[in-house]
Amino acid sequence: MATNQMQVQPLDDMNGDKSAFTITMLYPLLRATFWGLTGYFAAAWITAAVTGNVLVGALPATVGYVAGMIGWLLGSGVWEGWIRRAFGGKEAPSYTGIERYFRFGPDSKSTAVRYVIFNIAAFFFAGLFAMAIRIELLTPDSTSWWMSEVMYNETFGIHGVIMLLGVVASAIVGGAGYYLLPLMVGARNVVYPKLLGLSWWLLPPAGLAVFLSPLIGGFQTGWWGYPPLAQNSGNGIVFYALGAATILIASLFGAINIAGTMVYMRAKGMSLGRVPIFIWGLFAAATILIVESPATYTGALMDLSDMIAGSHFYTGPTGHPLAYMDQFWFLFHPEVYVFILPAFAIWLEILPAAAKRPLFARGWAIAGLVGVSMLGAMLGVHHYFTAVSDARMPIFMTLTETVSVPTGFIYLSAIGTIWGGRLRINAAVLLILMAMMNFLVGGLTGIFNADVPADLQLHNTYWVVAHFHYTMLGGVIFTWIGALYWWFPKVTGRKINEFWGKFHAWWFFVFFNCTFFPMFIAGIDGMNRRIAIYLPYLHQINMFISISAFLLGAGFLIPLANLVYSWRYGPKADANPWGSKGLEWQVKSPTPYVPYPATIEPEVVGPNDNYAPGAKEPFVWVSTPSK
Amino acid sequence: MNAAKENLWKAFRGLLMVWIIGLAIGETLMTWGIGNWPILGSIQAHITADATTYLLWQAVAIYVLVGGALIYSAVRFRASSMSDTGAPAYQKRTWAPFVVTWLALAIAINLANTIYPGMVGLEQLWGIQLDAKKPLVIDVTAQQWKWTFSYPKQGVTDVSKLVVPEGRTIDFVLRTKDVMHDFWIPAWGEKKDVIPNEVRHLFITPTALGTTATNPMMRVQCSLICGNGHPLMRAPVKVVTAADFKKWVANNSF
Repeated sequence: MATNQMQVQPLDDMNGDKSAFTITMLYPLLRATFWGLTGYFAAAWITAAVTGNVLVGALPATVGYVAGMIGWLLGSGVWEGWIRRAFGGKEAPSYTGIERYFRFGPDSKSTAVRYVIFNIAAFFFAGLFAMAIRIELLTPDSTSWWMSEVMYNETFGIHGVIMLLGVVASAIVGGAGYYLLPLMVGARNVVYPKLLGLSWWLLPPAGLAVFLSPLIGGFQTGWWGYPPLAQNSGNGIVFYALGAATILIASLFGAINIAGTMVYMRAKGMSLGRVPIFIWGLFAAATILIVESPATYTGALMDLSDMIAGSHFYTGPTGHPLAYMDQFWFLFHPEVYVFILPAFAIWLEILPAAAKRPLFARGWAIAGLVGVSMLGAMLGVHHYFTAVSDARMPIFMTLTETVSVPTGFIYLSAIGTIWGGRLRINAAVLLILMAMMNFLVGGLTGIFNADVPADLQLHNTYWVVAHFHYTMLGGVIFTWIGALYWWFPKVTGRKINEFWGKFHAWWFFVFFNCTFFPMFIAGIDGMNRRIAIYLPYLHQINMFISISAFLLGAGFLIPLANLVYSWRYGPKADANPWGSKGLEWQVKSPTPYVPYPATIEPEVVGPNDNYAPGAKEPFVWVSTPSK
Repeated sequence: MNAAKENLWKAFRGLLMVWIIGLAIGETLMTWGIGNWPILGSIQAHITADATTYLLWQAVAIYVLVGGALIYSAVRFRASSMSDTGAPAYQKRTWAPFVVTWLALAIAINLANTIYPGMVGLEQLWGIQLDAKKPLVIDVTAQQWKWTFSYPKQGVTDVSKLVVPEGRTIDFVLRTKDVMHDFWIPAWGEKKDVIPNEVRHLFITPTALGTTATNPMMRVQCSLICGNGHPLMRAPVKVVTAADFKKWVANNSF
């Protein structure tokens, strides 16, 4: 259903279809799987037969992936929900009940819920891969009873791709972001609802392809896919390049929605100064994707072209591998800001409501979010100082270090908000406080990699592994779980178990630091990345890291159980359990199918973080003007 | 229900104590850690390790100042329970002295870091490279998964062990036969990518005698993923005196 249709939906229907779940609602999901698999194998087999190749060859796999993706998308409901009308057919009715969770559709809330499910599943499996890596590293030798060096390389490659593109890329943006985006700006839906729906359906085949890449030969390059190793170490690189490009394009679809919704769909009276800080964080992340992602998915596809079409962009006697590095890092450095900027914004969204204080230095915080995203476009080169000419070093060092200034504004704002407040610490707030402490370590250790002299030694060692896990796992994932807890009542109408939430927060914080802090030391002591076999003098520290990692990994079952159990049996929550003045809490929980009824809409008349006693409510409800 | 008015200056005195204690503990631990630093086997290693250790002192200080303020204020200004919904009396949206101090310090530290250790370190590294009038040239060939070394002026070709004299700047000329690699001797404090279709140089002045057997940091190690043999793409290193190097050349040249 198009947005304009939804806006004229009568008030009575705002809760949508209330019928219970039946097994037939899974039909689109099964059809998508069937059409996808049929498309893959038919296209791959025909290509293999025509070109005299094997079924697992690079070209058949590529053609199969494209056909399988089209089959999956059409089967998921894109055919009758979007495409059929273009061929003169009728568009399917819009589904407002439970079935919308299992098929393609324009509803941003069910899309966001699917994102959370996908992220949790991807995190679970990629986390198991991390455990496999740490088992291999329990002993310095090749540990051949566990896995070969080839399998080890495939394992950390898949772990990296899935954790980055399948989890942190959409953890906060996809779940909390797409759910809250329309609610927070006072819109009934995002600006391009079908495009947002499509963005999710692109992910499962891409993630599955990366996971299954060992079946067609795996890839040895890690998540970088650097040529020319990419082209001579297994056909799995096909699924890597296609999967990465697909997920980047899906992110781009989401980013277009974020930017467009923030610009065009804000409620009356919501000037830019009153846009919630989380929306600013999403917007800052979206600008990065819109500006920078084309260079990088193009690079991935050119890498693929060198593999399947005989081109020599990056390989062969005339190829230029450094060009790939430029293209790859042009997005993939700022991509980490796509991950962390929404997390920053979550901190600043939750803290005022928890401390009952207005957001401190709000203008500087927004400058921080936007400033990081702007600087991010210019500094990918710091990922390969060891490969570039001397003349390029100073400028990229200076630009990279400058990022610390806008990043600091986030901490300035957070500390200023807590200072003099009355901070109520629940599991969500505890997790974001821990995320801030973890990210502080991650950010400070990043300066070493920005500083060229220090980086020339620390580059590609375990120092870097520790650094980015502190930012991504310690910063983004902690915040992600905190955000899931904070907005859980909004989505389900129930609360999570606070005791187990706080328990696992401490569990994570202890074992996270035990796992990753020693990696800094291992890096200084000369342990390089991506090795299944290391020298015996590093044995002790790796034993310690591995055992901590197992405890950390096992701890993630607690929030999983907490979320699933609370979804069914958790205590019922009020509509606004945290006493927040955010607009999203001013409508019923769980959010009705149409959050803002057709005849009434919110008008913003004040800042949404004024918690002073007797302060005026920031929103009034006015009747929607007739057209 | 209006919360009691906090005495913010009194709270700040508590924060000062947290900072002083935190800095004392943190920097003491850092002194101990830096005291256990691994071997620095070249002039370049001293330059890059100076940069790292300076940044470590600074990182600990910033961590204590920022993280300490965060933890202290979260503990000091916590509500007694979740049901305590009273708003604090202090509701200011900004406080210029704090913001201006923060901004000034952030820009100053950033500028200072760019100059030292950043540009100063680079200038020193480049200086050694430009000053080296007659460096010892060693051709390094990387391939999956081994290193080969040749000494063109000494007439030593294709040896699999890196033998170098102490105290003389070496110009490593880096080439690869197949994929990207990275030439790294951990003890020498610098690394350089080896890129197909390009020639790269790395200048090192070894200062410490030793071998891989005596110190595992003295090894050639590929540091850029290059396939399944990557972890074992190592080569032994031996740093000898100038006289011993002459003897070695005499025994190994053709």
